[in-house]
Amino acid sequence: MAKKTYNYAQIEAVALEMRKNKDMVFFYEYETPVATLPTGEILDLVKEFGSVRTSGGGWAIDESWIVGAAIGVATAGSIAIARTPSMATIYAIEYIYNQAGKLRSMTGGQASMPFGLWQGGGSRTRGSAGQHTEVGQEALYANLPGVKVVVPSNAYDAKGLLIAAIRDPDPVIYYDYPEVKSGDQPDVPDDAYEVPLGKAVIRQPGKDLTLVAWAPATVDVKRALPDIAKAGISAEVIDPRTLKPLDVDTLVASVKKTRRLLVVDHGHYTNGFGSHVIAEVVQAVPGVKAKKIAFPDVPGPGAAGMMAWLRPDAPKIVDAAVQMMKG
Amino acid sequence: MSEHNRIDRRTLLKIMGSAGATAVVSSACGTAGAESGAGLTGGKFDKTVALATGGPGGNQNWQPGDAVKFLPPQQIPTSSAASDTMAALPKEKLLDIFSKMNASRKWETAMKDLFVGGKDGLYGAFHTYVGEEAMANGVMAALNPDDFIASTHRGHGHLIAKGGELNRMSAEIFFKETGYNKGYGGSMHILDMSKGIMGANGIVGASYYLAAGAAIRGKVLGSTQVAVAFFGDGAAASPYYFSAVRSCANYKVPVIFVNENNFQYMGVPMAKTAPTKYISEYTKGLDLPHHLVDGNDVTAVFSATKAAVEWARSGKGPVVIEGITYRWYDHAGFAGGRVGVDGAYGLPYRSDDEVKQWISRDPVARYKTWLLSKKLASEGELAKIESDTQAAVEASIAFARQSKDPDPETGVLNTHFSGAVAATQFYNRSGLTRPTT
Repeated sequence: MAKKTYNYAQIEAVALEMRKNKDMVFFYEYETPVATLPTGEILDLVKEFGSVRTSGGGWAIDESWIVGAAIGVATAGSIAIARTPSMATIYAIEYIYNQAGKLRSMTGGQASMPFGLWQGGGSRTRGSAGQHTEVGQEALYANLPGVKVVVPSNAYDAKGLLIAAIRDPDPVIYYDYPEVKSGDQPDVPDDAYEVPLGKAVIRQPGKDLTLVAWAPATVDVKRALPDIAKAGISAEVIDPRTLKPLDVDTLVASVKKTRRLLVVDHGHYTNGFGSHVIAEVVQAVPGVKAKKIAFPDVPGPGAAGMMAWLRPDAPKIVDAAVQMMKG
Repeated sequence: MSEHNRIDRRTLLKIMGSAGATAVVSSACGTAGAESGAGLTGGKFDKTVALATGGPGGNQNWQPGDAVKFLPPQQIPTSSAASDTMAALPKEKLLDIFSKMNASRKWETAMKDLFVGGKDGLYGAFHTYVGEEAMANGVMAALNPDDFIASTHRGHGHLIAKGGELNRMSAEIFFKETGYNKGYGGSMHILDMSKGIMGANGIVGASYYLAAGAAIRGKVLGSTQVAVAFFGDGAAASPYYFSAVRSCANYKVPVIFVNENNFQYMGVPMAKTAPTKYISEYTKGLDLPHHLVDGNDVTAVFSATKAAVEWARSGKGPVVIEGITYRWYDHAGFAGGRVGVDGAYGLPYRSDDEVKQWISRDPVARYKTWLLSKKLASEGELAKIESDTQAAVEASIAFARQSKDPDPETGVLNTHFSGAVAATQFYNRSGLTRPTT
């Protein structure tokens, strides 16, 4: 099996579901849905499914339209996925806040909403500043009633979560963070499969400390793990994969064992999703030590040095883990 | 609404500076002719008004109070073409339209009387459509049952015209479990997908994308379904409006954008907020048909919509229809309304004279007169329909009264397709049981 890129895994997920659902649509802006395997095999959604089902071959810069029209398709009864770029989270959120998350409830369960938002994410990296460095808006979406939020961190989970999101009858926000796309990726099966919504995964078992990270923070956690091990700390690493509904049971079971919880969150400090992870765990396991490392409440600066200093990176994670083991 | 609310609202409007809006100011646009039933295609208008050049905003040729001068009855030209188009409909359909216009009027009037003077303790938002019935019924008469509509917060008339059931509507206003939305929604959220009604909506300007999505889906399915997005003059200011019309024009999406221009959003006269004389001028740079019609003339609305539907179904893309009409009551609730009296008076943002003049242009009475003058129905037939619809309205209220309140704990259901929102969020993790107090 040829090694698939993260991008291929995502496009393949959409293609498989569009083959199955002849009325499913995929709306996007400029990110042409084409992916290539190392073998040369090309997946081209516009070519395969026609322009009516795929944004007329690329829609204008109007994320409100892209998301709103997709929600209209879903309300009328067909599966609709809208893909919007990282700078457009706030354009997308209005229609999800007021319509997608609420129509089913407001109509007493009558309105269907098989809608998915494939939302691009930013990264805490140098050179872009502010608007293009934002990470953590998954917390905004997770706060909205009626929507589910998934944050894959590798190609296998990306394909499985995207398929699960497409198949889910409720609106699901699927986050696509660029930093998790590079590096070694697990094998991605050719067939359609689901990574179930609401199921965390234990990346590494351990007994001293529960280390929770999702999406881009998993990159820093991976870098920190060798030094954490060298410090003699047995860390249990959990990737929630779905933030809403959150797999609280897996988190609680781990912390009951380790009695220590360290959450790494690339989102901003105040009201980042990491705060909710801690709130859920400490309510269920009183008396545990809990700590969150997040990006401070500042827009990401452009200069490399400033960004690196602010990023919740591996040295900070190792330091926090060591401090938590004291006393 | 309570007296308390009424006073607060009036005080607020005065503070906001709308108090002076009651004066009738003469204006050049007062006598301009919007030809009944005339299609103004290709973005061309017979008459336009220059943009405002000064002042606090809005079109200086378009003053507060102009609604009273707009389309005075004697100056509404009767379009024989529109009348003939409508008269060609089967009698059964013409009577059905009469029945629905009456049901809409009588149901809302009955609700008004209950809110203002009734003992049912009704609560929640209620935005009346009274006075605008020709719009909904003229549009719906040109649609197929499987076409979609996306309505507004002022949606009762659209629902009834598209076949909404009075019993379930009344029960929803009473927030009963037998209501359309089982008590979850109320007036602003009634939806009936079995009839292509994508719902009333509590957000101004929400109809455009919902209708567009339904219309795109129609193209995907290979059907010739069209979708109608209703919106008011206020909602035309939403950026979503231009966004949707622009994209529908570009991608030939069969949406009919129906503007119900009643001259005011909430308590703000259109004169203060619109830089053009007509809402349909906003998009005239786009190559699509614009119809400007007398929105109190059901024949004009039907005729324009019929043409628009033919255009959209044939794959040519969207159409804009603007109907000039008027709401007899306040924006929401019933300030200035009284039991047994049509219309709301004493509102700070419009004159009583304006209200009276528009009531004299009653679209329901006008349709009745038209049916009789064309000898399309007899007095007796119409009188029977009037009494039947009144009986149906009263039966629906009795149905609502007899229905049960929803169980409070069902409030955590229906947020998702299946299952309740985690019960842990408000008491314990053990599952859905009624919290003890």
